Parts: sequence; C-alpha cells; structure tokens
Amino acid sequence: MLVAPVGWLARLFDPPLRALQRVGGYGGMAVFFLAPNMLVFGIFVLFPLVLNLVYSTTGGAALFLGDRSFVGLAQYERLFDCSNYLDPKSCAEDLFWTAVWNTAGFVVVQVVLMVVVALVTALVLNRELKARSFWRAVFFFPVLLSPVVVGLIWKWILQRQGLLNLGLYELGLTQVNWLIERGWAFTAAVGVSIWAHVGFYALILLAGLQAIPKDLYEAAEMDGTRPARMFWRITLPLLMPNLIVVLVLVLIRSVQIFDEVYVLTGGGPGTATLYLTQYIYEIGFASHLRNPGLASAASILMGGVLVVLTLLQLGIGRRNEARGKK
Amino acid sequence: MSRITLTDLSRSYGPVEVLKHIDLDIRDGELIVFVGPSGCGKSTLLRQIAGLDRPTSGKIEIDGRDVTRVPAADRGLAMVFQSYALYPHMSVRQNLAFGLENARMAKDEIEKRIQEAARMLEISAYLDRRPGQLSGGQRQRVAIGRAIVRNPTAFLLDEPLSNLDAELRISTRAELAALHKRLGTTMVYVTHDQIEAMTLAHRIVVLRAGRIEQVGTPLELYNKPANRFVAGFIGAPRMNFLPASMFPGSAAAEIGIRPQHLRRATPGETGLKTTVVMIEALGSETVIHAENGGQRVLAVLPGQQQLSPGDEIALAYDAKDLHPFDKDGLRLP
Ligand SMILES: Nc1ncnc2c1ncn2[C@@H]1O[C@H](COP(=O)(O)OP(=O)(O)OP(=O)(O)O)[C@@H](O)[C@H]1O
Ligand SMILES: [Mg+2]
Repeated sequence: MLVAPVGWLARLFDPPLRALQRVGGYGGMAVFFLAPNMLVFGIFVLFPLVLNLVYSTTGGAALFLGDRSFVGLAQYERLFDCSNYLDPKSCAEDLFWTAVWNTAGFVVVQVVLMVVVALVTALVLNRELKARSFWRAVFFFPVLLSPVVVGLIWKWILQRQGLLNLGLYELGLTQVNWLIERGWAFTAAVGVSIWAHVGFYALILLAGLQAIPKDLYEAAEMDGTRPARMFWRITLPLLMPNLIVVLVLVLIRSVQIFDEVYVLTGGGPGTATLYLTQYIYEIGFASHLRNPGLASAASILMGGVLVVLTLLQLGIGRRNEARGKK
Repeated sequence: MSRITLTDLSRSYGPVEVLKHIDLDIRDGELIVFVGPSGCGKSTLLRQIAGLDRPTSGKIEIDGRDVTRVPAADRGLAMVFQSYALYPHMSVRQNLAFGLENARMAKDEIEKRIQEAARMLEISAYLDRRPGQLSGGQRQRVAIGRAIVRNPTAFLLDEPLSNLDAELRISTRAELAALHKRLGTTMVYVTHDQIEAMTLAHRIVVLRAGRIEQVGTPLELYNKPANRFVAGFIGAPRMNFLPASMFPGSAAAEIGIRPQHLRRATPGETGLKTTVVMIEALGSETVIHAENGGQRVLAVLPGQQQLSPGDEIALAYDAKDLHPFDKDGLRLP
C-alpha cells in the first residue's frame, strides 16, 4: 500500500530525468544530483574562503571589498614584523603574538589534560559500577550545552561574587578572584573547556574500550597479568587507534578555542587568556582599530595550521584502516 | 600431578541457577570431556575450575589444595579459549612469552620454551607474525602453544575446534589426542559435539541444565546410558524411543534402541512391522525412516537396500540391545 505512491512519484520524475540523461550523459547525472549540495557548499564555505584570501591582500578599515585598497602581502608582513618572535612586545602586531603564544600554552596544557581526563573517565565508566548509564549521561550532558551557556554557567560560579566565593565566604575561607588572577583565569579556561567537552571524547574512548574482547582480559588473567601491566600491555595498545583520533580531534578543537573562554574571561585579565580566534574576531569586527585585512591574514595562517592537523588525522585514519585490514 | 576435585559446586547468576550441585573427580593425566547441549553450563563449569568465575557455593580442590578462592593465575592451569583470545597487537612470539614474562622467568628459559612449543606445534615459521596474519588453524595452534609454554598442571579447553572447518577439525582432533598422550597432562575439554567427545575422551561428563547426567567412558555411555537423555545424546543417528507396548512382555515404560541395532528380519523371525517412509542411501549404509502406528522408527542398515517408500518391512533386534527406561526416563536394570 505504501509502495503505490512511491511508484507513482517515481514514474512522475522518470521522463524528465531520462531526458536529462540523454542530454548530459551518464556522468552528467552525477553532476546534476551533486549540484544542490555543491551550491550550498560553494556559497557558505568555498566562496568565503576565497573571499577571505582576497581580503587578506587588502588594507584599510572599510568593510566592502570595493572600498579597500590592494596591499599585496603587507598584512602578512605586518604579522611577521618581529625582532624576537618569543617576545610579543618586540612585534608590530604584539597582540597577534601574544595570542599565538597564549594559544600554544593553552593547547599544550589543555590537550594533555583533556586526553588524560577523558581516558580516566572512560576507564571508570567502563567498570561495572552501579547506575552506569546515569554516570555516562552525567559526563556527556555538558557536551549538549551551547558553549555560551557553558561560559555563563561557570562565570556565575567563578566571578567575584559568584557561587564559589559565596560558598567560601559561608565557610569562612578566603575568597579568590578566580577570573581576575592570571593563573586562576588560565586554570579556569582550561578546566571549563575540559568540563564542557570531556564527555564527548570519553565516549569515543569508551566505545574503544568496549570493543576490546573480554576474553583477552581473561586470557591475560590466566597468564597472571597484574592490573598495571594489563593496562599498559593490553588496554592501552588496543585503545591506541581511538586514543590517536581523540588526540588529534582535541588538538584541532583546542587551537580553535573561543566561545566558552570568551564568555568566561573575555580574554582577560589583560591579555592573559586572549587566544587566536578571539584575536581574529576582535581585529576583524569588534575593536575600534578594526582591520579586516589583518584578521583575514591571521585566519589564513591559523587555517593553515588546522589543515596540517586535519591531514594528520586523515593520514592516521587511513593507516588504522590499512592495519585493520591486515 | 593434578587431580581436580569438585564438591557440591553451584553457581547462580541472580535467580538463575546455572550449575547445580556438581560433584566430580578429575583424575591425574586424564582427558575428560564435558559435553551437553548449548547453554547447559559447560563453559561456566570450566570457568569455575579456571578461576575466571567464582562458585556460589561448593569447593574446588587441585591435588588436595582448596583453590576455591585462589585467583586464576595461581592455580597453575592454562586455558585455550574458543575464540583463541590471542593478543592481536603482539607477535606470536610475544603471545607465547607474555605469561612467562609475567612470572618473571629468565629470558633464555622463555626462548627455550617458545622454541620447544613452536617445534611441537609446527608454528616456528610464523613466530614473528601477528595473529591477524595467520589462518584459523594456525591461530588455534598458537592458542594451544600459549597454554603449553606455561607448563601447566592441567589444560582447560573450551570448544577449541569449533571455529575450524570440518576437515581441519578432524585432523586437529587427532593431533590434540597425540599431544595429550605426549604431555600426559590432565586435560579438561568442553564440546557440544558428541562425536568429538566420543573420539577424544577417556571419560565423558554429560551435562544437562547445570546437572551432571552421567560420567563414564565413551563406551559405558554408549552401552549403558543412565537415562533417556544420555541415551538420546550419545550416538548418531539418535536412539529410537518406542512405547514399551510395542515390545511384548516388557515392564519398562519406554524402550530405547539404536538405529544401528535394527536389522531386516529374516523369514520366520519376528520383529517390528513397519512401513518405509523415506530412504537415505549413503552407499556404505542405508538410513531407513519407517513408521509403525504413527511411531517413527529409524534404522541404519548395512550396505545398499532395494527398498522404496511404502514397502512393508519387519525390523528385528537382539534383546540385549534394548535399553529399558522407567516413566521418569531412568534406566531399568
Ligand atoms: N554472566 C552470566 N550472567 C547470567 N547468566 C549467565 C552468565 N554466564 C552464563 N550464563 C547462563 O548460564 C547458562 C550456561 O552458560 P554456558 O556458557 O556455561 O553454556 P555452555 O554449556 O557453555 O553453552 P555453549 O555450548 O553454547 O557454549 C546459560 O543459560 C547462560 O545464559
Ligand atoms: Mg560454552
């Protein structure tokens, strides 16, 4: 019964499609079916990408391309105009280099912690504990929140008169300006971003853990394997493909860090938690010294880094596949 | 030396009693086979012995030592898993070495044992390959090798041949028997294939729904099955179970007779009068599906028979081949 209307519809489209195939040929049909998707991709991804590249070769504060002057690679030269790359103050674009080094520091600390916390979470959730599904949901829940909501929640908790300080006050303990002291602000940025995303990565690792056959552990038990060695020699090597996927995904996301930290600290105190995406956003759209060309150039550079990381991930994925086939 | 004694062993998962009061004495050096239909608790019983699972009640002793609460690794047993459970990320050599390294054995002793096992099992050529690069039969040998190098007091094997194709299964079965003879170590072997059990075992333990139905040598089980279940389980094709009314003068509720023990009655001889329903000509023998008053009777006759469906034949038997059972299915003397 259900098939009848489907058949009717198919017959309706049959003549025009046949006509089209006669004109375009067999290969042409593929193009026809791909076209809508390509159109969307072209308008929202490819075109802006090219436009961004063009913008990065223009100067001035004007927004419309027609009002902007061609400056060649001057924006890139400005970004790299430094007597010492390690010292942002010696650079023409000191904020850019501040953001670069802040991001680098953030990435190193956050990626390591994220992977470790995700792994530990997955290992714990993989055990036979009571209400396991409940705990899994608890850890996954923040992933469903919008990053802005995450930033706001933690801002309410951590700000000067936030929940945490209120609690400390009630307990008669010293209050801390969590978001205003450099070290604490950095810790908060790292901590909150981990809290927000760890559930997702833990889930990937959990899937990997559950894919390890139980009888391997039993064989290892018969072999008299102690728990630590079980982890290092059985669990970790067998989890490695998932672990590498997680590592690269975390790395990519970490370089792009923006929303939750921007809402939480606004890049402060001073420029202590100013990261690349925020720098690009502010130079391009927000600051009074608006310079869309410079922002474009910086985003192209960051895009390059992300492309390298993505290729890395694809390469690893392909290697895993090849190994899986063996 | 390794004698394994199970005393009043039970295992429940929640309300489900999977093993019920198992008493069993496994003798030193014997090859004992647990056999029974799927889900009867064979693997569960083996896992209790291995120490991979703990009984709800009862006692397990190895050579007189109570090991009921002793961890698997300290029981001195080695297990071959149905899935082989080889470590996929290690080479064959590392697979064999892993347990020995855990025991902190000296490197040259480990290498010596690996070489010895590899020679015995003819796997020397692929010691440096990963399990994924081996055929099913080769993996199976590696799994056995991993058990052998540990020089265990007993081997536990859970359906070790079930992942092999029919031909390989038969040849590997013979090799296992030879291996057992050579090592002289106690082997506890689980299978649901009664032919495998009959060909390999010194003694067979028939399990059903978590209970031992009978323990005995293959021929004891074949000749004197303790009950209707064992009688039906051992031997192929399955034993005929016929109402005693078909056998004048019998006090039993039911009579069992194996298809091989039926023959065509010679003129003048009395027998079961049946009508042929179907014929399976196998060349060396002929399987006759016959019927008597709605009762199916299976007979395996030697050679090739000139019969066709609808023919009336009389099937004769010797009184000594009848297995009388009472109404509870227990064997009558
Ligand atoms: N961990 C468990 N939790 C609950 N029930 C279990 C568990 N392990 C086994 N069982 C039950 O115990 C019964 C016996 O299982 P077991 O694996 O021992 O059967 P088996 O005789 O080895 O069967 P097969 O020939 O199919 O391997 C089954 O009904 C099974 O469902
Ligand atoms: Mg089993």
